[in-house]
Amino acid sequence: MSETEALESMVGGEYKYGFTTDVEYEDFPAGINEDIVREISRRKDEPQWVLDFRLEAFEKWKQMDGEPDWPNIEYEKPKFDEIQYYSSTKKKDGQKKPESLDDIDPQILETYEKLGIPLQEQKQLQGIAVDAVFDSESIFTTFKEKLGDAGVIFCSISEAIQDYPELVKKYLGSVVPKGDNFYAALNSAVFSDGSFVYVPKDTVCPMELSTYFRINNMQSGQFERTLIICEDNSHVSYLEGCTAPMFQENQLHAAVVELVAHENAEIKYSTIQNWYSGDEKGQGGIFNFVTKRGHCRGDNSKISWTQVETGSAITWKYPSVILQGDGSIGEFFSVAVTNNRQQADTGTKMIHVGKNTKSTIISKGISAGESNNSYRGLVKISPRADGAQNYSVCDSMLIGQTCGAHTFPYIESANPTAKVEHEASTSRVGEDQIFYLQQRGMDEDDAISLIVNGFCKEVLKELPMEFAVEADKLLGIKLEGSVG
Amino acid sequence: MPDIKKQDTFLSDLLAKETSLNGKSTAIKKLRQKGLEDVQKTSFPGRKDEDWRFISLRELYSDSYIPASQIEVTLPDISELFIEESKNARLVFVNGRFSADYSSTDALPEEVTLGNIADLSADGEALVDKHLNAYGDFEDDIFSSFNTAMLQDGAFIHVPKGMKVDTPVQLLFVQTDADEPYFTTSRCLILAEEDSEITVVEDHVGVGENKYFSLPVVEVNLERGAYVKHTKIQRESMQAIHIARTAAHLKQHSNYESYTITIGAKLSRNEPRITQLEEEVEFTVDGLVLIDGDQVSDTHSVMDHRFSHCESHQLHKCVINGKAHSVFNGKIFVRKDAQKIDSFQENRNLLLSRKGLVNTKPQLEIFADDVVCTHGATIGHLEEDEVFYLKSRGLNDHQARELLTYAFALETIENITVDSVQELLVDEVHNYTSRTLQNQD
Repeated sequence: MSETEALESMVGGEYKYGFTTDVEYEDFPAGINEDIVREISRRKDEPQWVLDFRLEAFEKWKQMDGEPDWPNIEYEKPKFDEIQYYSSTKKKDGQKKPESLDDIDPQILETYEKLGIPLQEQKQLQGIAVDAVFDSESIFTTFKEKLGDAGVIFCSISEAIQDYPELVKKYLGSVVPKGDNFYAALNSAVFSDGSFVYVPKDTVCPMELSTYFRINNMQSGQFERTLIICEDNSHVSYLEGCTAPMFQENQLHAAVVELVAHENAEIKYSTIQNWYSGDEKGQGGIFNFVTKRGHCRGDNSKISWTQVETGSAITWKYPSVILQGDGSIGEFFSVAVTNNRQQADTGTKMIHVGKNTKSTIISKGISAGESNNSYRGLVKISPRADGAQNYSVCDSMLIGQTCGAHTFPYIESANPTAKVEHEASTSRVGEDQIFYLQQRGMDEDDAISLIVNGFCKEVLKELPMEFAVEADKLLGIKLEGSVG
Repeated sequence: MPDIKKQDTFLSDLLAKETSLNGKSTAIKKLRQKGLEDVQKTSFPGRKDEDWRFISLRELYSDSYIPASQIEVTLPDISELFIEESKNARLVFVNGRFSADYSSTDALPEEVTLGNIADLSADGEALVDKHLNAYGDFEDDIFSSFNTAMLQDGAFIHVPKGMKVDTPVQLLFVQTDADEPYFTTSRCLILAEEDSEITVVEDHVGVGENKYFSLPVVEVNLERGAYVKHTKIQRESMQAIHIARTAAHLKQHSNYESYTITIGAKLSRNEPRITQLEEEVEFTVDGLVLIDGDQVSDTHSVMDHRFSHCESHQLHKCVINGKAHSVFNGKIFVRKDAQKIDSFQENRNLLLSRKGLVNTKPQLEIFADDVVCTHGATIGHLEEDEVFYLKSRGLNDHQARELLTYAFALETIENITVDSVQELLVDEVHNYTSRTLQNQD
């Protein structure tokens, strides 16, 4: 096998999560208008203030000029009138929220089993609590009691709206405002489910928290909303994973994630994104248009984003940190792999407002096939951010001659005591590197696999221990075929 | 009624004021007409355009300007602006008009053409006809179109095959002092035939402290094996607006070395655009920006690698003081199948003041796999450790800072091969550091 073929086969592994689950859905009309927004709110039995939030967002969305056209991506615009904005499975009569796993459709349980995310607590890796989101609703949240003992709230956002309205009301939309951008506004109008995490003062969350998102319904989009609040001196680590079946059509996924870190708090947010990416010809796949933003409100707080992006037909995502508290820290570690006709325009924003704030950006892009992979980032040092520091590295690797790698780093500094360093490089797997490993007894595929893994190592090591297994597995699938 | 803003018709209005354009060349007349049409077709850039989002052109369009041909020219002694090495190899343009009195081309070999675009022999005219406006994809750029619509005088350099010219050529563009703001354009066409070699110093000088709008366009064509060294010095008046475009096309084994030094102008914009037309070329696009007060300097460069085996280098350094604002956007393109490209880009900014602002956006767009492309950008201030070290060696604070700033700036100009230009720039750097460090808050 030639070097290029070996490389291509490495990144060309088949999508294993492309099956569909045959469940019955409640009827919900497609399209978007005020009635739809009201209907979503009604079905979820929401208080008036949530409905007002949605309606205001919808008003803003209607007035917007349309999808942003600045990303380096080409696609057919989603037909917003054909999407089903809410998709829930049929419930047994009179039942609202499952009390135990016995109340859940066994088909759905099986789905999660197949995905490697068993919901039975005893079967799980110890120390991970899971919130499983299936299309528009949260199915089940594990280890709730154990977390409750520590004072940590971990539940779906719909539950939180019912049970902890004052918390949700205080923070919802405070980091990503309703009219922040086109997709955030859409999300604010029609958001369905997602996770809510609240860690009280002086608490280290006793286990890793995780949400698993699954899109199953072909007509529906997923519009989840996640809100994580970490009070003073607290710590939480959170991971999300995503998969979807293989359809010929594109599905829209427009999520909003808001993180708030108070004084000395630390939030670590990791994503393993493996939505269906479409076939070789670019048919189907998920449009992943996500707004993620963290706000370091208190002094010496820290927010860290780690993402492994392997799926989606189109990824448009810039997890950001607003470093407001003095001495706060923002981090962004990313591996983005694109293959076939995938397009990714991803990166981060670090907005330095407070004094002595620090940010680190490590981004690794791998493009193969006919894909295009862009890094787009902003580092902004405001005039009063004395002593702010930023260090960014974005490296790209190209595999094959038909893909593209792009880097668009925006850097702005208005403070002379700040230090900003940015470097980027583009290269491929070096022939001499392969040669060296081969003369040490490895075959070519192993050599390439080792080099690609080494290329991503800086980021992968940032994943929480428990999820490193999952990430390895996932990269393994993307890299399948490297041996033999 | 559509809402027509002042800037939409700003350039067309200026063109309407200039009625004195003439010349014997029909080619130029035709180009002028095309330029005029393009200006009317193209919209004036605004902050919504990605390439113009960091600076405002209000400073430009909020004023009214008269054509430079309508002002009375009073020129002080400009002989001190002449470069020693370019004695008798010099073209001088005053407010965009060719000045035969100051120009002299005797030092050049007969085969080399150096002259005014509007006044050439039949051979020269044929070359201008063929090459002028042929380089640099100007259609989408309203300012270049404006320049084309204003075509009259300009510098023309033609170096025939195999000719290596030792004498550096100076193209001096002098803008005079005047009571009223005026606008002026200039044009250069440099044609380097196979295996030829030439050094060009393009020098824009404002002799007064007045406001004017200067819009130069330079086109360079390098045939196979040609070697062109091009230094551009921009020392316009501190009230001036300078919007420039430089385009170079490179054929096999050619080498284009360009250094752009920005010192003057209240608002300046440089757009070097280097396009590789064949395999195996080399180029350098270095720059130095020294700004202070309320100066704004913007550099948007494009390094377009279209074929394999190319080595390119860009080091762009900026020193920012006062309320000055520096913008850099360097695009590196590597097109499909353009393998074995080695491209280096670095933008380093020294931000000396609290009110200064830096926007930088180095940009890579790569479509070939076997390439090595790197870019880097830094924004920082003088290291206190370094200042301390120099102080411990007996320098005072001011001297230490001046020395470090000077050293920072020097890296970009030490490769310029014309000695007196280097000296001139060293002096300019020195002037800047001593002036600017005194103003520091």
